[in-house]
Amino acid sequence: MNSILILFICFIVLIGLAGYGGWRWRRLAAREARIILTGGGTGGHVNPALAIAEGIRKREPESRFLYIGVHGKAESVIVRRAGYPLRFVLSEGFPGLKPSFRLLRFLCKLTLGTIQGTAILLWFAPRWVIATGGYVSAPIILATLILRMLRLSPTKVYLHEQNSIPGQLNVLLGRWVDRVFLTFPQTLSFFPGNGVLVGYPIRHSVTLKPREEALADLPFRVSPERQVVFVFGGSQGARTINRALVDALPHLIPHRDRLFLIHGTGLSKSDGYDAAADTQERLEKTLSNGEKAFLDTFYYRQDYFHNIADVYSISDLIVCRSGAGSLNEISRMGKPAFLIPKANLPGDHQVMNARAMKHSGATEIMFEDTVVEDGKVLEKLEGKLFAERILRLLEDPEQLREMGARGKAFFRHHAVKRILSELYQDHSFDNGISYDTVPFKPLLSNQRLLQVLSAAYGRSPEAYDPLQVLGDEDDLVYYRHRAAALLSHKDWQDRNLGVKLIGFTHYHQKIPTLLHMLVDRTPANPIRRCFGGDFEQVAFIRRNAVQALQVFNQCDANIEKHLLTALEDPYFEVRSHVCGAVAHFASSLEGKEIWIEAMLNCLRDKSFEVAAEAAKALGEIGTDQSVLEVLLRLRESHYWQVRNAALVGIRRLVERDVIKPSKALLSQISGFILTATDFQPHFSIKKTYQTVQKCCRERLSEDGEGQGIERSHPNPGERTA
Amino acid sequence: MVYEIGNFLMQFSEVFSFFRLVNYITFRAIMAALTAVIFVFLFSRRFILFMHRRSMLDQVRETGVLSALDKSGTPTMGGALIIGAVLSSMALWGNWHNPFLVCSLAGMLWFGLLGFYDDYAKVQRHSGDMGVSERNKLVAQGLFAFGFALFCVGPYAPFEAAMTTKLYVPFYKYALVDLGPFIYGAFILLFVIFVSNAVNITDGLDGLAITPALFVVTVLGIFAYVEGNRIYSGYLFYPYLRGVGELTIFGAAFVGAGLGFLWYNAYPAQIFMGDTGSLAIGGTMAVMSVLLKQEMLFPLLGGLFLAEAITSQIQDKIGVRWVGRRIFYRAPLHHNLQHKGIAETKVVIRLWIVAGILALISLATLKLR
Repeated sequence: MNSILILFICFIVLIGLAGYGGWRWRRLAAREARIILTGGGTGGHVNPALAIAEGIRKREPESRFLYIGVHGKAESVIVRRAGYPLRFVLSEGFPGLKPSFRLLRFLCKLTLGTIQGTAILLWFAPRWVIATGGYVSAPIILATLILRMLRLSPTKVYLHEQNSIPGQLNVLLGRWVDRVFLTFPQTLSFFPGNGVLVGYPIRHSVTLKPREEALADLPFRVSPERQVVFVFGGSQGARTINRALVDALPHLIPHRDRLFLIHGTGLSKSDGYDAAADTQERLEKTLSNGEKAFLDTFYYRQDYFHNIADVYSISDLIVCRSGAGSLNEISRMGKPAFLIPKANLPGDHQVMNARAMKHSGATEIMFEDTVVEDGKVLEKLEGKLFAERILRLLEDPEQLREMGARGKAFFRHHAVKRILSELYQDHSFDNGISYDTVPFKPLLSNQRLLQVLSAAYGRSPEAYDPLQVLGDEDDLVYYRHRAAALLSHKDWQDRNLGVKLIGFTHYHQKIPTLLHMLVDRTPANPIRRCFGGDFEQVAFIRRNAVQALQVFNQCDANIEKHLLTALEDPYFEVRSHVCGAVAHFASSLEGKEIWIEAMLNCLRDKSFEVAAEAAKALGEIGTDQSVLEVLLRLRESHYWQVRNAALVGIRRLVERDVIKPSKALLSQISGFILTATDFQPHFSIKKTYQTVQKCCRERLSEDGEGQGIERSHPNPGERTA
Repeated sequence: MVYEIGNFLMQFSEVFSFFRLVNYITFRAIMAALTAVIFVFLFSRRFILFMHRRSMLDQVRETGVLSALDKSGTPTMGGALIIGAVLSSMALWGNWHNPFLVCSLAGMLWFGLLGFYDDYAKVQRHSGDMGVSERNKLVAQGLFAFGFALFCVGPYAPFEAAMTTKLYVPFYKYALVDLGPFIYGAFILLFVIFVSNAVNITDGLDGLAITPALFVVTVLGIFAYVEGNRIYSGYLFYPYLRGVGELTIFGAAFVGAGLGFLWYNAYPAQIFMGDTGSLAIGGTMAVMSVLLKQEMLFPLLGGLFLAEAITSQIQDKIGVRWVGRRIFYRAPLHHNLQHKGIAETKVVIRLWIVAGILALISLATLKLR
């Protein structure tokens, strides 16, 4: 009884407190502009929030701000410096719905973060919550939405989405917030009800300055005749870019007299990558002492530039990731850019961003490779290639200037004004963009790509060219990289897909990898072996690797060597495909004798498929009478397919003039058992129907040209009645 | 209906005494079979024409075997004919109050409707792969199987209480083990789902599913006759199941309908049974086996269906999805044989022979135990 009473009293007190909180909130929010900013993880999420805050402060100088972020991320550096009060909550990236430990941890952190957020909200009593996306803002948005549902909060929630493909959390939470501000018109289709196209808000300080003025604020000196290249990977830094630049340095040193490199390594100290330390270490390793001496004359490194506008202003070329933030800043500055989109992101959004900017003609794109180094999957850029591309771009300053000018068109001005007009609901600024979604060509998924390419290959294997099928060279390059990235996946299904795609996209540089997979003999795990599995690179992968080699339509000594090894594969389809490949490459094979020997061995294979393919291959590569004799010996083979293949082989030998047709040959082939267990039936009526159909079509196309007669192509099997 | 009318009239007058014939199972069985055959012969041509006009045609499904491509455009859903024939025959000759008959009919109808829905979806979407999803199919099958299992282990089961949950095996006189209601119920559930799918997988070549199914149902009908007869069952040491003789009549009607269907389905087929037929046949066989307490005979009797189902599952679930290789050249069994270079007609007849031999061996278990 007592405990019930206590519970009841607690309940009443809680309701009272909550009611008081709500009342206080409404009072405070009405009296002054109290605004919570949240979002972060990378500078690309933090800077727009600060830009919006700048805009609000200009309009209402008395407004109070509170920034909420996650400890140890970009916001803890940038926001402190900008002078806004900062608080931290717990949160973590959304790992996907698949049940896992990470999902559990994510849910726990999100719950705790939401509770923290609730407390902060009740105490601060904001008028608006402005979130700039990223998982960082999820707890605050959630807390606000819950409090609003309980009618405790009068707060309005706004979300700014920077990327063309929104993150999963933003798509989910975006349904309930008041407005979603968008950077790219394509994104409107994700938020049909409350999306507003505003562009990317950029901080006032990021504007072009005269070179001298900018240099005065920077800690280094550059003589005016030098070309300045600014290389950075966003606020957190990009491992790929940092490492590639260090690898490129030896190739750039000869050009040190006309170059100046500014390197922003990034703030990252977590997730197993310490940007500054890693770069320093790699520098020590890569460069000789002599080279290091030159370094100071043309290379400057810093982890983060708070006055990034100064650096932009003096740069002639900017090399960076294609995050929405960097792209918009660059195009506002009107600088030419060389973009390295981060691969393997959800929705490929960096690639999409880069594509969007490329259409304006302001950038060049280079894709990173996915490789396995020391058992770890890494993205990588070849240093030498990287240096060459940079140098080639710098050769033509006129073109660089033109690229920069074109880039300006990409930028959507007045983003902050448009946002303020939405916040204050006063229609003070309208950029004239309606809810109409802008059509855009999406990238194909890997599966779809495979369907498209394999269908094209099936139509005409000889004239197959992936570039012709896809149309866009950059897309093809990106698809190649994505296919290569699949090769290092853990699931064999993904690797298998990768192998097929590498063949169909003609990614010649990966042939060695395919060959390695083909003959890799790392055993599969014991349970799989019990059920017929053999190697880590499963049977299908090896089979498809052979097929991919055939799609490449290119054969050399190395490939031959590996194919020969693959003939000892325990899986029958690999062997039969190799035999097929031998027949395909027959004319360009070097070691004919070895191959004839190998094919003769294959005739005795356990699997009839292999024997049949080998017999056909012998017809293609046979050089003398001895092959004929072997093929003739197959005349009493149990499988009619093998007998058939032997006859096909003999026909090819005759066609290739290896053997002369003679009476003796005729009597020899008469010994073949022609009785078979299989035959191809056909329906006379279907044949007749098809001829009638064909006849009609031909007449129609003669008479009906220009008259717009609609020609239907029904399935020939349909409607035979 | 005839059964009811006959018994009703016999109460009134000696004039109708010839109606006592309807009390003989053999007589009704023969009449049921004949009725079903005649039904199929009467309606098939019209049905085929009807399906053509409504474009209810088989859709191409990528199986990797060339000759299959030649067959798209054949009318499908022939199973509706079989179901119709059995239903009308049972309407005439069945004893509607018999729980065994009602169960079997319910099973056939449920699975038939599920299959019909699947076929219809395929025709509507013009794709052999886009029928009811595998999961939904399993759920629908499981629903019936669950209800049926509940019925079989519950208080309304048509068996004597002592033997309700006992499991009999071939070649052994007595019940092997009493599984208890839960395990036996679960066993029935899985059994029904497995068998109905097995027939579905087998139905890939002209006439391949129907003839072995006829063998199976014939043997089950004979078992029903023995187990439903107090003297024979006593003589052969079978548990006597009162009223199960009705399943002989049901089986006979089924065989009649199947023979009529084979007339049109034999290579080259003028009509396919579709999922409507294969699921219905599978459901019927499963329900009959359970009601006759001959579940463990099925792996022998329906060995062909078992082999087809198992090869298909091994190839797909273990081989292609998990280990990453083909374990057989192709799956299920009949496609494997075709791939090895045996023509469709030959594969079908050879598998009929295998099914026939298995049926004979199963029949031998009547005495050998």
